[in-house]
Amino acid sequence: MKVTIQNLTKCFGATTAVNDFSAVIESGELIALLGPSGCGKSTMLNMISGILPVTKGKIFFDDEDVTDLSPEKRGVGLVFQNYALYPHMTVLENICFPLEIKKVKKEERIARAKEMAKLVHVEALLDRKPSQLSGGQQQRVAIARALVKHPRILLLDEPLSNLDARLRIEMREEIRRIQQETGITTIFVTHDQEEAMSISDHIVLMRDGFLQQIARPQELYDEPANCFVADFLGTPPINKTYGVVKNGTIVLEGDCTVALEAAKNLDEGREVILSMRAEAIIVNDSVPLAEGTIDEVYVMGKEVLAYVQLGSKRVRAYVEADEEYGKGEKVKIGLKKRGVFVFDKETGERLV
Amino acid sequence: MKQVPSKSVSRFSLEKLKNKSEWLIYLVPFAVGVIIFTLYPIINVFLTSFKENFNYMTKEFSGWGLGNYTYVLQDPYFHQALKNTFFYVFIVIPISTCLAVLIATLLNQKIKFSGLFQTAYFLPMVTSTIAVGLAWRFMFNYKSGVFNYFLGLFGIDAINWLQVTTGNFPALCIYGIWAILPFTIILLLSGLQNIDPMYYTAAKVDGAGPIRIFFKITVPLLMPTIFLVMIVNTISCFKVFNELFPLFSGPGVANNLYTAVYYIYYQFRIQIPSRYGYATAAAVILFGIIFVFTMLQRIIEKKLKN
Ligand SMILES: Nc1ncnc2c1ncn2[C@@H]1O[C@H](COP(=O)(O)OP(=O)(O)O)[C@@H](O)[C@H]1O
Ligand SMILES: [Mg+2]
Repeated sequence: MKVTIQNLTKCFGATTAVNDFSAVIESGELIALLGPSGCGKSTMLNMISGILPVTKGKIFFDDEDVTDLSPEKRGVGLVFQNYALYPHMTVLENICFPLEIKKVKKEERIARAKEMAKLVHVEALLDRKPSQLSGGQQQRVAIARALVKHPRILLLDEPLSNLDARLRIEMREEIRRIQQETGITTIFVTHDQEEAMSISDHIVLMRDGFLQQIARPQELYDEPANCFVADFLGTPPINKTYGVVKNGTIVLEGDCTVALEAAKNLDEGREVILSMRAEAIIVNDSVPLAEGTIDEVYVMGKEVLAYVQLGSKRVRAYVEADEEYGKGEKVKIGLKKRGVFVFDKETGERLV
Repeated sequence: MKQVPSKSVSRFSLEKLKNKSEWLIYLVPFAVGVIIFTLYPIINVFLTSFKENFNYMTKEFSGWGLGNYTYVLQDPYFHQALKNTFFYVFIVIPISTCLAVLIATLLNQKIKFSGLFQTAYFLPMVTSTIAVGLAWRFMFNYKSGVFNYFLGLFGIDAINWLQVTTGNFPALCIYGIWAILPFTIILLLSGLQNIDPMYYTAAKVDGAGPIRIFFKITVPLLMPTIFLVMIVNTISCFKVFNELFPLFSGPGVANNLYTAVYYIYYQFRIQIPSRYGYATAAAVILFGIIFVFTMLQRIIEKKLKN
């Protein structure tokens, strides 16, 4: 089912949690709603589910306007951050509960619940109470309970944030598998960019209630629409340097000239941000664009990360493992095309 | 340098000792109170119940034995008292618990004037018993009382609540239910506030209506608190006594409202000379009954949990 969001706004008194938000979510996709804590992700999700009324704007499920429909009429399956499994019911009773409300016959109810339990791999735990389950198992049951009534859309609010690191990776792949097996349109909220990058078809990136960019994960990484998007994605975080355009080059703070080809098209004297991913910086390049000083070199398994002083900023760069650098050594710095961006310093808007 | 640690250790243990005596100082006033006013009387009651022909003034008694118990257990007044007490408990507890759960759930909703309602329900706790008794006597009035007015609306004959023995017991129960509600509601409200609202949201998203949410979510999640108030209220209802006075100034029009505690009071205060042996024997029997019931409730609670 396709979800269309038009100019959605939500105000809580003076705070605007979601601001004039428009997006289209294609049918059958797994969408990550990504953004820092407090940017309005939960608010957004709760408006889609119908728990929260909207202040302004419209929500369509396919062509149906659901803006004023109550949650149960929208046919949404919701998974809460703390799972919200009813503690007094067994796993089976929990999964059956949505069907019980719909007055589905008992045998069918149990059959469907068992089918769901199988899908999420909890068929051996049906008689347990939620308190007897691990976090990951509770998560699976919560997903089964959300899916059992065959909702049109599955919504998950920070589904992995209560799990430990290893389980988180396992469960995110499980969510992906379950989503692909059922083909249900799914929106999941997360503040973890890695989580969003690893399993989603599209990422909807938010900040302070505003939509920043909707794109496929790789596209978001390679072609960020603005400085915030570039900052938010990637580990290690992107190297962010400030400078001014002079004679077709960018002169960074601390008087370091970067002869970036693309800078030739920029207005003279414009204040810009030059952002470079660590893998886009080439140390000792044959076509040097700038000069830097090696500050520190860290070997981390197969990767070697060098800290290079560029003007007054220290930037991270990946270097070949077999090359050796001394501290304070002057190096010629080259830049790849991919992973190097220039943003306007005022607006953060992408220039190159 | 080497002495410093040993010094600090000794100071440390001294401090510990001081701390120990400190908690004793805090404990003593309370402990003394409990020993004088609770522990000593309990033991004394227990012992006295086995002393035959005990004279409180001279502390003389004819010998140890079960005489007090055989007398009390054969006394038709005590039978009547037990019967009344049991009926009272079995009527007041279920009705008051159900009503309190219902009212507490409603008070817990985000409704207009909920503060006003809450105050109204808790008013009985702070109103003087005399004023309360007067108001209830008006309401139970045979000719002009509001209860008979409502019965009349349903075509039911008026009941002479206060002046005829058949009306006494229902009147006592109604008053008892009313009197126990505020405390029960307070406890249940705090239990309700401990239920995470996300359970309600989850149920609502699945389309559960308020009645289903009440029975399938609120009540089961409130069960621990419900059991708590039932145990506390059962104990207090077995001790029904105060409730006799606002309406009847005593055990009903024809002494028909004897309760277990009233029987104890009667043997202790009204009989001259006082029959301490009978009073204490009755008290120990009542203690036994309450003990058994409380244990039963706890066993049922444990069974239900699994
Ligand atoms: N019920 C509410 N009342 C007032 N402010 C709220 C409410 N819910 C959320 N907010 C505010 O809206 C903003 C977005 O919140 P939320 O959607 O929960 O963020 P996220 O889920 O992205 O962490 C926050 O500033 C938060 O304080
Ligand atoms: Mg949130």
